[in-house]
Order: sequence, then structure tokens, then C-alpha cells
Amino acid sequence: MLRFIVRRLLLLIPILIGLSILVFVWIRALPGSPAESLLGEHATPEAVAQIRHQYGLDEPVYVQYWAYLKTLASGDLGTSIASTRTVTYELEHRFPATIELALAAMIFAIGVGVPLGFLSAKRYRSGVDHAGLAASLIGISIPIFFLAIILKYIFSVRLGWLPSIGREDTLSEAEHPTNFYVLDGIITGNLGASWDAIRHLILPAIALGSIPLAIISRITRASVLDVQNEDYVRTARAKGLAPRTVDRRHVMRNALLPVTTIIGLQMGLLLSGAVLTETVFAIPGMGSWLKEAIFNRDYPVLQGGILFLAIVFVFVNLLVDITYALLNPRVRVS
Amino acid sequence: MSVAEIEAHELEGHPAAGGLWSDAWRRLRKNPGAIVGFVLVGLFVFVGIFAPWLAPHSPLDQDLSLIANGCCPGPSREHWFGVDELGRDEFSRVLYGARSSLVIGVVAVAVGMSVGLVLGAIAGYFGRYSDSIVMRLMDIMLAIPGLLLAIGVAAMLGPGRWQIMVAVGVASIPIFARLVRGSILAQRENDFVLAARSVGVPRRSILVSHILPNSMSPVIVAGTLALATAIIDVAGLTFLGLGAQDPSQPEWGAMLTNANNYLQNAPFLAIIPGLAIVISVLGFNLIGDGLREAIDPKLRSR
Repeated sequence: MLRFIVRRLLLLIPILIGLSILVFVWIRALPGSPAESLLGEHATPEAVAQIRHQYGLDEPVYVQYWAYLKTLASGDLGTSIASTRTVTYELEHRFPATIELALAAMIFAIGVGVPLGFLSAKRYRSGVDHAGLAASLIGISIPIFFLAIILKYIFSVRLGWLPSIGREDTLSEAEHPTNFYVLDGIITGNLGASWDAIRHLILPAIALGSIPLAIISRITRASVLDVQNEDYVRTARAKGLAPRTVDRRHVMRNALLPVTTIIGLQMGLLLSGAVLTETVFAIPGMGSWLKEAIFNRDYPVLQGGILFLAIVFVFVNLLVDITYALLNPRVRVS
Repeated sequence: MSVAEIEAHELEGHPAAGGLWSDAWRRLRKNPGAIVGFVLVGLFVFVGIFAPWLAPHSPLDQDLSLIANGCCPGPSREHWFGVDELGRDEFSRVLYGARSSLVIGVVAVAVGMSVGLVLGAIAGYFGRYSDSIVMRLMDIMLAIPGLLLAIGVAAMLGPGRWQIMVAVGVASIPIFARLVRGSILAQRENDFVLAARSVGVPRRSILVSHILPNSMSPVIVAGTLALATAIIDVAGLTFLGLGAQDPSQPEWGAMLTNANNYLQNAPFLAIIPGLAIVISVLGFNLIGDGLREAIDPKLRSR
């Protein structure tokens, strides 16, 4: 097991180096420059030259990359050109927002998807099964931002049940030691703030979780259908175990194996979807931040942010593989 | 005719003429989901092609007198889906939008599929260094969340129609490359490849005329599903402000984005193009699922 993990970790190194080069070169291939977007169209050449010098942009690309690696090694991700705050500071505030949103979406997707898939398999070819299938097909066919707009219109604009933008009430004075707002409320004993944060999460989480929900419920259904016909399930039933015990211990435990992989694979999708969801609901997270950075040509933010996101993504995949290997001993051998 | 040619001829003739594809087609026709998919996509393509004859108004004609009393009057006999914030007929714009979406989806998938196919084929068939290099490159691309990658490419190329097609296509390259490589690896050790090799068929023609045709079925399924994703992703990029800046071409994503500003008074302006996207995407998804079940022998029994 340890060898498996070490080998996977070693494989990450070339990917991360390649990624940093790719992002670095790509950013410099973007039309326009931070100096222009910072100073506007009518900047004098001198002012532009000064900004370029200040950020080292007048050096050759490989010199810039080397300088970047050196600062990166000391844990410094640079300073945002647009906001003049350090990238690390922004990350500390924005990453929790996105993770909170992604987790909420995942909880929604798993919490509804697994039981729905299980029920569909148990009532194979019944009305429930067909309805579930139709719903999941429609679920993966709706663009996230369209669903987000519709949810916002119905539940915020029309019914006024839930807030439509941001992460907390604009008048909120809650403290945020970790920047995970729900957690912060619990830590500081301010449960009202937690509830407020949860209310702000509901609509974005449903919008973002709709596709994973559809996929998870279908995989669970297929997987349960497969496992149900296995010999060991028949044996368990034949020896007179309670149906519920068989479902829980024998069917579900084995059926959830492929589901874990799918959940991991959905992380990338969630991060993609977060860009759109955060835009619709004006959530100050990673997605909306990187989107603005692209428009502003904010090089340090793009470099730091994308690299960070990619590292997280790669580690999540590693974690999924490890969980999978733990659950399924056959994988470790190969 | 040399032995090799006879061999090659026979090998090509059999699976292509009958077998897999006609079998798959027969199954597909029995699948109600796939039929619905074909109807939806057929409608979508029909509307896309014949939009100028079907549309009651020009999609660009502005009738400002219609919005004199605020935005925007809803559906009426004259304007089935109402008019938008500039007094343009929404129904005609939705019809013309099918055209853009169709072209954008097809081009984006063509870009991703062709590049992915070449890269995957190189990696899968030639193996060794080319495999390592190509697949590590794909791993790097996959390490960036798909939409973010597309946003990045679109930002690099600048806003515009063909730019987002390329961007969405590029983001799907690694998916196709991986699929083709896996499929080729599975085919490479087959007996018919060994047979072709033993009678001296050159490597390139083994790849092109024996292995590739046999590894295409998962790629076609993925391509159909990728069409669905491409339409959604293009709409998403447009929503983020990276889409076509040319207002003379109505586009569903852009219509939805504009409507977002008038949601309070005219929700139908968002709902109608949104539903159009859902219906076309649903169509491709249904066909893709149907194809997968028709082709994949493992799923056949169910």
C-alpha cells in the first residue's frame, strides 16, 4: 500500500512541473498585458515600461520562470496586480468558499443520488425507475448556469425564501477564523451565522450538484443491479439473513465501489461548474476570482490560482485512488 | 492480389459489412429513448437548416414601439415567444440560434475528436516514448478543470465565435486521446492484428485500416455525448462573456445572458433559450446513451 502511494506521489512531480510551465507560457501568450489593463488604454509608454519592469515582465520568459520558481519555493505566490493583496491572502479567503460550495453540492448529490439509485434498482423497470432515469437525463442536459438562474428566479426573486447572492447576509458581523462560514459559526458559537451561511449555500449547491446527482444515481443504480445478481448475495439471502442486512452489508458495500471513483472524478466537474455558479450567485470563490483574473490579465493570480487548483485536483484524484485501493484489494496488485 | 491484400480485404469486409454496425442499428431502433433522441436532434437540425424559411420575422428586426411600455411584452399571436429587450422577435431568434449552436457544437467536437484521435492513436499504437510523452501531456491538461481550460484557451485567442469552438474542442482533446489509446491497446493484441502483421502488412496500414476502424465505436459514442457537452460549454463560455461579440448572429447562450438582466419582468426570455439548449442537449445525450447500449456487448443483455 505504501509503495502504491509513494509511486503515485512520484508520478505527480513531472505533472506539476509540466503544469507550471504550461500555465506560465500560456499566460504570456495571452493578448494584452497587466500593464495595459491596469493603466488603461491611454497609458504613456514610459508608464507601461515602468510597470513591466516592476513586475519583471521585461526579462526573457525563461528568466521570469526561474525567478518564479525561486519565489514559489519559498512559499510566496506573489501579489495580485488587480487587488494588490497577496495571492496567498486571497487564496485563504476564496478557496474555503469554493470548497464549502463543492462539499455542499456533493452532500446534496450523494445524499439524494445514492438512495435514488438504490431505489431505482430495487424497483427495476417500475415507475420510480423510469422517473429516476428521465430525471437524471434531464439533469445532465441542463446547463448549470441556466438551472442557477431559474432557481434564483423562483426561490429568491418570486418566493423570497432564500437569499440570492453572496455567502452571508450583507449586514452580518460574524467572525471568520477559518473562512469556512458554516464551520466558523459553530466554532464561534454563533449558530445564527451558520444557519445564514447554510441558507446562502442551498441554491448554489443544488445548481452545482445537479449533474453529479444525475451521474451518481445512475451509477448506483447500475452497480446495485450488477451486485444483486452475484452469488454471494443469493447465498446471503438463501441462508435467511434479513433483507435489510443483505442490502446493507452485501449489496451496498460492494455496489458503492464504483460510486467512490465517480465521486472523485466529479471533483473536476464541480470546480468547472463552480466558475458559473459563483458568477450567478456572486460568491467570492476561486472560480469567479480566476475568471476575473483572466479578464484583468492578472498574471500572479492566474499562475498561483491555477497551479493551486490543479494541485488540489491532482491530490483529490490520488486520494480517490487510495480509497479505491483500500476498498478493493485487487487494484493494489496491478 | 497478394495474400496480404486478400487478408486485409477479408478482414475489412466482415466486421464492417454486417456484424457490429447493422446489429447496433437494429438495437438502436428498438430503444425508445434513442428514438426520442433522434426526433429531438432531427428537429434541431431541421430548424437549424431551414431557419430562414421557418422564422416569421427577421431575427435582427427591431421594433422599438413594442417595448415602449417597458420590457418586455410576453407571447402574443404576432410574436409567439414575445419580444426581447430590443423589440426583436424571440421565436425567430430561437430558430436562428439552433443554427449557431449546431455549427458550434459540431466544429468543437470535430476539433477535439480529430486531434484526440491522432494523439491517442500515436500513443496507443507506437507506445514507448511517444506514449509516455503524449499521455503525460494529457494528464497535465486533465489536471486543469475542463471549463477553466476552455476559458484559458478562449482568453488566449480572444473573444469570438470560432475562438470558443476551438477552446471547447481543445478542452475535450485529452478525453478523446485517452479513449482512443485505451481502445487501441485493447485491439492491438487481437488475433487479426497478429495475422495482418505476420503476412507483412506495414505498421501504418495495420493501424489505419485494421486497428482504428475497430476501435471507433467507443469514440463515436463519446463524440455524440461530447456534442451535448460542447453545446452546454459554449453557452457557458458565452455566459461568462467570452463568446461571439457579433450581435447579428443570435445565439442561445448569449440570449440567456442578456435575459438574465430582465429576469424580474420577462422570465420567459431566459426560459425559452434555456429550454432550447436543454432539448437539443437532451437529444444528443439520448442518442449517445442509446448508441452505447447498442454497441457495448456487456450492456446488451439488460
